[in-house]
Amino acid sequence: MVESRITKLPSQAPPLEIHDLTVAYHKKPVLWGIDLVVPPGKLIGIIGPNGAGKSTLIKAALGLIPGSSGWVKIFGESGRKGLKRVGYVPQRESVDWDFPVNVMDVVLMGRYGRLRLMQRPNAHDREVAKRALEMVHMLPFANRQIANLSGGQQQRVFLARALAQESDLYFMDEPFAGVDAATESAIVGILQELKQKGKTIMVVHHDLPTARNYFDMLLLLNMRVVAFGPTEEVFTYELLQQTYGGRLTILAEVAEAVRQRGA
Amino acid sequence: MNELIPQFNWHDVVVSPWTDGFSSTIWIVLMGAMVATACGLVGNYLILRRMALVGDAISHSVLPGLAIAFLLTGSRGSGVMFFGALLAGVATTLLIELIHKKSRVKQDAAIGIAFTSLFAIGVILISVYAASGKVDLDQECVLYGEIGLVWLEEQTVIAGATIGPESVVRMTAIALITVVLVVLFYKELLVSSFDPGLASSLGINAGLVHYALMSWLSVVVVSAFESVGAILVIAMLILPGATASLLTYRLPRVMALTVLHGVISSVGGLHLALWLGCSTAGAMVVVGSGLFICAWIFSPSQGLLRRWLVKVEDAPLDPTISTKPMKEAHL
Amino acid sequence: MRLLAPARWSMVLGLCLFAAFGVVDAHAARIGDLSETRIWEQAIRFFSLRDPAVRYAALGAILLGTSCGLLGSFIVVRKMALVGDTLSHAVLPGVAVGFLWNMSKDPIAIFIGAVAAGLLGVLFVNWIQQTTRLKEDTALGLALAGFFAVGICLVTMMQRLPTGSKSGIDKFLFGQAAALGAADVKLMAVVTLLSVATIFLFYKEFLVASFDPGFAKASGHSVKVAHYTLMWLLAFSIVISLQAVGVVLVSAMLITPAAAAYLLTDRMHRMVLYSMAFGIASGLVGAFISFLRPNLPTGPFMVLAASLIFAVAFVAAPRHGIVVRWWRQRSQSRRVQRENTLKSIYHVLEGRSFQQEGVTVEELAARRRETVEEIRQQAADLRAHELATFDKHDGVIYLTPEGWQRAAAIVRNHRLWELYLTNAAQIAPDHVHEDAEKIEHVLGEEVVRQLERKLAFAKEDPHGRLIPDVATIQRGSGPRREAPSGYRRSE
Repeated sequence: MVESRITKLPSQAPPLEIHDLTVAYHKKPVLWGIDLVVPPGKLIGIIGPNGAGKSTLIKAALGLIPGSSGWVKIFGESGRKGLKRVGYVPQRESVDWDFPVNVMDVVLMGRYGRLRLMQRPNAHDREVAKRALEMVHMLPFANRQIANLSGGQQQRVFLARALAQESDLYFMDEPFAGVDAATESAIVGILQELKQKGKTIMVVHHDLPTARNYFDMLLLLNMRVVAFGPTEEVFTYELLQQTYGGRLTILAEVAEAVRQRGA
Repeated sequence: MNELIPQFNWHDVVVSPWTDGFSSTIWIVLMGAMVATACGLVGNYLILRRMALVGDAISHSVLPGLAIAFLLTGSRGSGVMFFGALLAGVATTLLIELIHKKSRVKQDAAIGIAFTSLFAIGVILISVYAASGKVDLDQECVLYGEIGLVWLEEQTVIAGATIGPESVVRMTAIALITVVLVVLFYKELLVSSFDPGLASSLGINAGLVHYALMSWLSVVVVSAFESVGAILVIAMLILPGATASLLTYRLPRVMALTVLHGVISSVGGLHLALWLGCSTAGAMVVVGSGLFICAWIFSPSQGLLRRWLVKVEDAPLDPTISTKPMKEAHL
Repeated sequence: MRLLAPARWSMVLGLCLFAAFGVVDAHAARIGDLSETRIWEQAIRFFSLRDPAVRYAALGAILLGTSCGLLGSFIVVRKMALVGDTLSHAVLPGVAVGFLWNMSKDPIAIFIGAVAAGLLGVLFVNWIQQTTRLKEDTALGLALAGFFAVGICLVTMMQRLPTGSKSGIDKFLFGQAAALGAADVKLMAVVTLLSVATIFLFYKEFLVASFDPGFAKASGHSVKVAHYTLMWLLAFSIVISLQAVGVVLVSAMLITPAAAAYLLTDRMHRMVLYSMAFGIASGLVGAFISFLRPNLPTGPFMVLAASLIFAVAFVAAPRHGIVVRWWRQRSQSRRVQRENTLKSIYHVLEGRSFQQEGVTVEELAARRRETVEEIRQQAADLRAHELATFDKHDGVIYLTPEGWQRAAAIVRNHRLWELYLTNAAQIAPDHVHEDAEKIEHVLGEEVVRQLERKLAFAKEDPHGRLIPDVATIQRGSGPRREAPSGYRRSE
């Protein structure tokens, strides 16, 4: 296993730290014993075959799915406290695009994490939302209902919502799926800008050739961590073979046995 | 046929209720409007969360709760009835979850089994004990209520001032509370309906919102029950919101149009019932459905007329092709 | 004669149910009028089918049970329960129009009117979904309530008429089996026969179209025809059941017996047969109960009978019922506990390099950090399963040959799994123990063979402990003369 070479500054906890995390999905183990320490200020791609648990890893890190063992810490905090500094861009299919909201409404939702129970978004929140929309070049569409957007535009709105969260750690789940080339390069540009500002971004990505160009570091995932480190070191034939080669049939079989008999 | 549909006499049907019969008319209309407001606002969230038929289920299953509460305590006081029906509503939700989580029966069948069983128990209790005079709800009233008699009830007196019939006062209070709740918790309801994953990651407890919504739905349904009966509550829950959502994309406007729809159906239904001599609640729903059809045809953005003029493509006619978006995220 | 089994079961269930209802109703009878005859006498009178009214009611119940059970099976597996509910409410205006046609209860007119209204409702639902952004559940609710409201208006308008209260339309709301006449039953028989024949003849087309429409289409079957035919037959079976069960509850007769059948079998054709049997049973019981007192609606009793059958299936079904599942889980966790005890015994023996055969209760208690009492119980349990012998007086446990094999196998599983996780899955050695604690109990023999091959019959686990090989497992727990061995490499 390639180890990360970042030294931890004693005064600052890493953006994401995972220890021995095992996660089950519908009683079937999907991730086994995940160990991860993520350095700050990097653009990290998560790649692996289908069913490898990439989305599950993000959801477990956010606490949306409970782990059956191990723990996750975000900037040294666990549970809800850690979530305050996280921005999340989920998969596009997870949402009903016929919902009666317009682009501005969706982006404002990103500010809700900072508002208390019955508090309304104020002028400052709207400012932040506008700036986020500007960054993704969607400000002219602020009043458009979300059903009337193309795939690429929807993705940019989601990104703007995450930017409005003003987070330090971002999780993105397949942000380039079904998106046109122009939007894709625009989004990559925005991610680079974020990185320059010292943010940490973790992206589940499905396309190998572009993964090599877009990301500083790669996490090769297939039910367990195959490798994690700088792209040039990790993007090798052997490691990719191990990730995509499908030699872990036993792991999958046993996971199925656990699901059926309930260990 | 002539016997069935009476002569339409303008004076009798439209004018006289507001002149001679004002004192009874006003209460009926107010009751209808309040029921439609409370149900419509809560119902909007059912539509957005795709739980319209869970609302139908709860409206049926409050019946045994009401019947048992009445049989045990012998009184039709609000507190007792509410409690009985609230328990029944919670019992339904739990029963549905029990059936479909603990066996391979799917959710749609679980809903059907749960509410029909509970409703059957309710009807049996009522018909077996109705003859002995213990229960004074009759079977048909259960189905479509008798809103027309609401003005005959006892008047509520608060601080020495006579306000109005008991159930109208109660329904108005519930409608007002509903409005307040929807306004106060607007963003929590919005984000948990739109994107539960994001809601959780923002620290909003989506499960809590769900159970709170179900509980308040039970309260609203119970209050509406006596006026409109079990079956038509579902109409009050989703007709206004469905109509409104055909006319606008903005949620706040949907909410406002919901209330407007409720008031119009209420007034229109009253007059229709006076003319045809039929159930008032049924007439209100018919008028509401009429409004829906108008919106469906004439809506500037989604209407059938516009589609015909602009030749928009329909979704595939093959009913076996699902048009639901995939909800299961990739692993 | 496989048909007899479900039929027999449902008769038994039916008898239990009406016995149960007999008790309940006996109480109810004391409150209202006292009936002159007792329950058993009434039952005999009913089932001997002496009265023509009873004959028609019983026949009607059988026919509707068959029809609803048959169509209901397809509804349940296609997850269309709520479509069935909407369809059954949407027929009401059609029933009213049917009454108005001749101002009397004309079965044919009512049938045509109701089917037309129901199918119109379904068309309405589809049309809404195609032309607006409203979702399926909303569209269903709109059609259900809208059509039903029109129906209610018509019904209440009719009740105003001088002939209104005698028309009998109000019986259609909750059902009245006693109102079934010869003409009604004839219609029901024709329709039921039609449905059964259609499904029987085209069974495999319906099956594949329901299960996998994409595949069916690709194989040249017409999925659309199958779907529309099912909707027509569904409308038919709803409409013929209306008079007995009532508009409000007829959807329960579609869903509940079929859901009960769904829990009892994995084969579709058996599900259909069980479903029909349960439908017939519920129908007969419901009809009988509604005869006990005048003016009792039939629908709710039929539904309650069906729900009771479902409840029994839910609890007691051989593979999917909760009692069985609970039992399986319990015996599973008992087994895991036993295996953990065996494993600890092995560890104690290993710690002594297998020099002595017996393990004292105190040693085991120290090893497992439990009390002596708990260890005694576990030892007694092992003895009950013939995995160990346990002498209560001197408190020493000896493993039987079978116990030894089991213990060694568990330890082998645990260590093999740890090795696999560290080598093949590259997980850190200090993370693997907890996983192995759970996995050791569920590894099947075949997977173990695969693991052994994959790990090239390694001798030691990540912590340096020996992995028991086949020879060790066969050897038994007797004291060793030579040092224990793990696998030998074949080179």
